[in-house]
Amino acid sequence: MFGLIGHSTSFASARHLAERLGYPEYAAGDLDMWSSAPPQLVERFSVESLTGRRIEGAYIDSVFVPEMLRRFKTAKRKVLNAMELAQKSGIDSSALGGFTSIIFEDMNLLKEQQVRATTLEWERFTTGNTHTAWVICRQVEANAPLLGIDLAKATVAVVGATGDIGSAVCQWLSRRTGVAELLLVARKPQPLLDLQASLGCGRILPLEEALPQADVVVWVASMPESLSIDVANLRKPCLMVDGGYPKNLDSKAAAEGVHVLKGGIVEFYTDIDWQVVALAADMARPQRQMFACFAEAMLLDFEEHHTNFSWGRNNITLAAMDWIGAASLRHGFQAVGLETVVHLSRSTAGLARH
Amino acid sequence: MPTLESTQADLNQEPEGLPDFSSEAYKDAYSRINAIVIEGEQEAHDNYIAIGTLLPDQAEELARLARMELKHMKGFTACGANLGVSADMDFAREFFSPLRNNFQAALAEGKVVTCLLIQALLIEAFAIAAYHIYIPVADPFARKITEGVVKDEYTHLNYGQEWLKANFEASRAELEEANRVNLPHVRRMLERVAADAAELRMEKEDLIEDFLIAYQEALTEIGFSSRDIARMAAAALIG
Repeated sequence: MFGLIGHSTSFASARHLAERLGYPEYAAGDLDMWSSAPPQLVERFSVESLTGRRIEGAYIDSVFVPEMLRRFKTAKRKVLNAMELAQKSGIDSSALGGFTSIIFEDMNLLKEQQVRATTLEWERFTTGNTHTAWVICRQVEANAPLLGIDLAKATVAVVGATGDIGSAVCQWLSRRTGVAELLLVARKPQPLLDLQASLGCGRILPLEEALPQADVVVWVASMPESLSIDVANLRKPCLMVDGGYPKNLDSKAAAEGVHVLKGGIVEFYTDIDWQVVALAADMARPQRQMFACFAEAMLLDFEEHHTNFSWGRNNITLAAMDWIGAASLRHGFQAVGLETVVHLSRSTAGLARH
Repeated sequence: MPTLESTQADLNQEPEGLPDFSSEAYKDAYSRINAIVIEGEQEAHDNYIAIGTLLPDQAEELARLARMELKHMKGFTACGANLGVSADMDFAREFFSPLRNNFQAALAEGKVVTCLLIQALLIEAFAIAAYHIYIPVADPFARKITEGVVKDEYTHLNYGQEWLKANFEASRAELEEANRVNLPHVRRMLERVAADAAELRMEKEDLIEDFLIAYQEALTEIGFSSRDIARMAAAALIG
């Protein structure tokens, strides 16, 4: 069985979801009430692969909302309790979705293996980052040419280059895709130097200098609210892959010739009979689109490869990306492409849908 | 929406260490918390013996559970003595009175389902939550004792859970009613003890969530759906 550990994108949307699902007490509750509410296994579903293999899954709402990030003990408790519930529910592979994997990493929850009477078995969990990294690379490779960008001659900036997903994307783009130039952007200098040394290529630049030079920008860092992008200085065309969480690049980089693609999102070949996931996720086609990290849990279950496949920081190898990529295609996933994004940005801008 | 970046500093903060067990403020708070625990174990003993009168074929097993509670009570009495604290038993007896009164009323009416919900589910889940949260911030002596106790409390929770599971359909309506009536008392008890618990570095938010996790697990085992459970649990979150 596979599991998806997720959360609503905001407290307002969480309350709205509770209202729609028929939990009026939760819809009316304040943030303190939600902070004390335990995780819930809210939905079970079954999924059939292109190969015909059928697996069972469950969605666990951690009852975390991003507004709780400022309450670090609460955030930590939410993630650990959701993981405990997943394990106790007998789920073999659970993906840590949204902020939950970021909290796990940043708060070093590896130290917190004991949750009450339960010893968490790490092999039951994955961050899903290997699949996310592979999908983002595929999105770059498939969509840049559609905009007339020849990757062999292109400059690609990776923002958040030293992170778990960012460093894997840099490896892939430099060794597999073969882009002309890689611009490495991140906050801390030393990890950037280490990354550059391990890649044997790449130019380290501050964000404001990298953006105007890039034909493609892969964004795999969470973006501060205060950040603004000077779209006038961007190259046109420019492909921006928004692989961070939350996805808010489309509102910051909206301009003619700038194409923002929701990064790390995949589409399944057929509809999945889930209701809560469809309501909770902010997807253009919620019955079949999902975060690639969620899909990784499915893939591990389809393949009966029950290990903590993506785990820790900067452990993603090209071989692992190859493996998960092949599994992804075999079982019926494909990376969301630019067509969907054009469609999305049109609807966001209030223009007629096509 | 807040982003991780904007809260990085918060995320990297480590919680404070152990409290000062010898401070007057700690001892004052401990005099009430320790009393609650001692009284809780005593009442648990009495309640299991009482439930045995409603379930004569189970009386022997219930007497065994009751004896464990007395052992716990002695352990916790020693914890207070170890810190030089005298437990405020008057406070504790009054603290438990709403649940005790409801238990006694149910007992008088022969309502075994309500009795089991109050003692074997609510009070045991409350104890499990409190002990789990207490262990990391306890003094070394109390820590050892509490670690031993918490394992036993799962046995007790499990007892009530198994009985109610075996009699689920017949018990369902009474369980829902007993939940509705008694869960708000648990909430109020947690509120009342929050300031003293905070002095011991135990936070109300943690206590409520851990209590609900233990309680919800029991309800799941008994046979309620997740939807029923979320609705039943809301009574502990609001009010």
